[in-house]
Amino acid sequence: MNLAEKSDVIVTDGVTKVYAADGIPVNALCGIDLAIRQGEFTALMGPSGSGKTTLLNIVSGLDDPTEGNVWLAGKIISDMSGNELSDFRRDNIGFIFQAYNLIPVLTVEENVEYIMLLQGVPKAERHDRVASILEAVGLKGLADRNPPQLSGGQQRVAIARAMVSQPAIILADEPTANLDSKTGADLLAIMNRLNVETGMTFVFSTHDPMVRESARRLITLRDGQIDTDETKCSG
Amino acid sequence: MWLILTKLAWKNIFRNKRRTIIASTAMGIGLAALIFVDAFWMGMEENMIKTATASFLGDAQIHRQGFRDEREVSLTIQALDKLTANLAEEPIVKRFTRRTLASGMITSPASVGAVNLVGVYPPTERFLSKVDDAITEGVYFEGENSRDMVIGTKLADVLEIGLGHRVVVTVAQAESGELAQEMFRISGIYHFADEEMNRGMVFIRIDKAQQMLAIGDGVHEIALKFTSVAHAQDSELPFWSAYTRHGNEALSWTEILPQLEAILKMSQTSKYIMGIVLFGVVVFGIVNTLFMSLYERMFEFGVLRAVGSRPLRMAQVVLFEAGALAIVSIGLGAVLGYLVTVIFVRRGIDYTGIEMMGVTMQEFLYPIMAIRQFIVYPIWVFLFTIIAGLYPARYVAKMTPVDAMRRSF
Repeated sequence: MNLAEKSDVIVTDGVTKVYAADGIPVNALCGIDLAIRQGEFTALMGPSGSGKTTLLNIVSGLDDPTEGNVWLAGKIISDMSGNELSDFRRDNIGFIFQAYNLIPVLTVEENVEYIMLLQGVPKAERHDRVASILEAVGLKGLADRNPPQLSGGQQRVAIARAMVSQPAIILADEPTANLDSKTGADLLAIMNRLNVETGMTFVFSTHDPMVRESARRLITLRDGQIDTDETKCSG
Repeated sequence: MWLILTKLAWKNIFRNKRRTIIASTAMGIGLAALIFVDAFWMGMEENMIKTATASFLGDAQIHRQGFRDEREVSLTIQALDKLTANLAEEPIVKRFTRRTLASGMITSPASVGAVNLVGVYPPTERFLSKVDDAITEGVYFEGENSRDMVIGTKLADVLEIGLGHRVVVTVAQAESGELAQEMFRISGIYHFADEEMNRGMVFIRIDKAQQMLAIGDGVHEIALKFTSVAHAQDSELPFWSAYTRHGNEALSWTEILPQLEAILKMSQTSKYIMGIVLFGVVVFGIVNTLFMSLYERMFEFGVLRAVGSRPLRMAQVVLFEAGALAIVSIGLGAVLGYLVTVIFVRRGIDYTGIEMMGVTMQEFLYPIMAIRQFIVYPIWVFLFTIIAGLYPARYVAKMTPVDAMRRSF
């Protein structure tokens, strides 16, 4: 695949990643060709060590491929400088991590508004958008709490942080892995709704059967290669 | 953005309170030590200058040119009356006194010795030297007896004499070089911490000395005190040129005792070297503390990078933390430095009789506190901390987000 189609927000072309583990090369990804269209709700499945997290890291520009190219929203990320890539992630990608990864010394509001501070969004607009997204993820009235004070609510804050800047793509690495099934189901429902309402593109790496059920496209990785790629029929 | 970075830094340094307290206490002790040492050196410098100038020398002296090199008794000060009249009108001169200086032999029934015979005018001399305060036996020129002599304890021991005993002094007269001898009675014995002085200086009344030396009303030295000690160290002062004329020369103590001036300058350099060494040690502590803090939160840095923070912004976070640590340390160090120094400012440190760099201390040493110590050294601490923070800041800035997230504990 050499050219990205207009509606493709993520395109990989022959992406390979080789790690050196104790001096021994390990192929984490082998020639991945992939195109993800705008608005897709995609799950990357596969056993541990199949390359899901590595693929997410590479398509987000957090890590470099050993070979191959990645296009994000039509731009080759390997051509970007460090600052350009930082700005690109800031403006186009929202991250949800398995371990939440919030800043514990900042309040919920400060955690969520951090990206908008980087973007230079005016204070009043930041405040409105934070209030709106916290309401959407079910955290209304908890803006002044610190994340450790939110029992079971930290991943909601992480989702709010990922979405508040209205990025084109949300990348989520095992977002429901540390949650009980009810909370996981609630959050999946929230993400599904936001996907439908805003048209944001969601890509999950997951083992969770609930995510498999919710996803409209399922890509299975095995030994660093795409094993299956299925799109569910809508409706 | 700056507000949240400041808040982030401030809160982060208190995430591990024990570590922050230990690190900032170590830095604070460094600052306190520097404040105290500076105050101590200032006190010591003042004490040394005071010892050198207040005991006998004065802030400045006027001589006939060439006298200091040749010690020729005929080289008396020129135009003395006009000069003393001018000095009396000089607004920066507080006190002055006249002296004669000559080398001579002193003989007792038991022994003989070489001495510096100093002719003094007691009513004004007491404001310039401390011989009167140092009298341990007898009196300092009371009454009108022209044969009174004041000697030091060491000389009294060498000559095996005491109060009321008689000695004979022999000097060479001006111009002719004829020897003149006079008998004196010991009316007072003084004791300074400086043994050389105790052994070598004897004092008689100036008119008797002038008569012995056959110099008429001439004097060899005018010692003076300024209204401010700073005048003596001001080489641009018009006073020096105004009184270095008619064959005379006016010299500050810094020129009369250049070795003391050099020692004081050297002590300044030593102080800065010590400060740099002290802070060099502290810097390693800061780097260690910052790295410990960074490694604990490496995942957070990875996340901040992942969500779009530029590398420079990450470096700023670390430098803000270094700055916050410095501010806490400065607060601790300034308070500690003040408390330790103020105790010694009030009590003093007994250095009397101890010779330091060629000067024998005569009085208690009192450290001197100055506002500068609480401005300059805290700025040093802040700058050193920021400089120490550059290495971990660069480390974080260069780390890729995925590496940062992988390296987290």
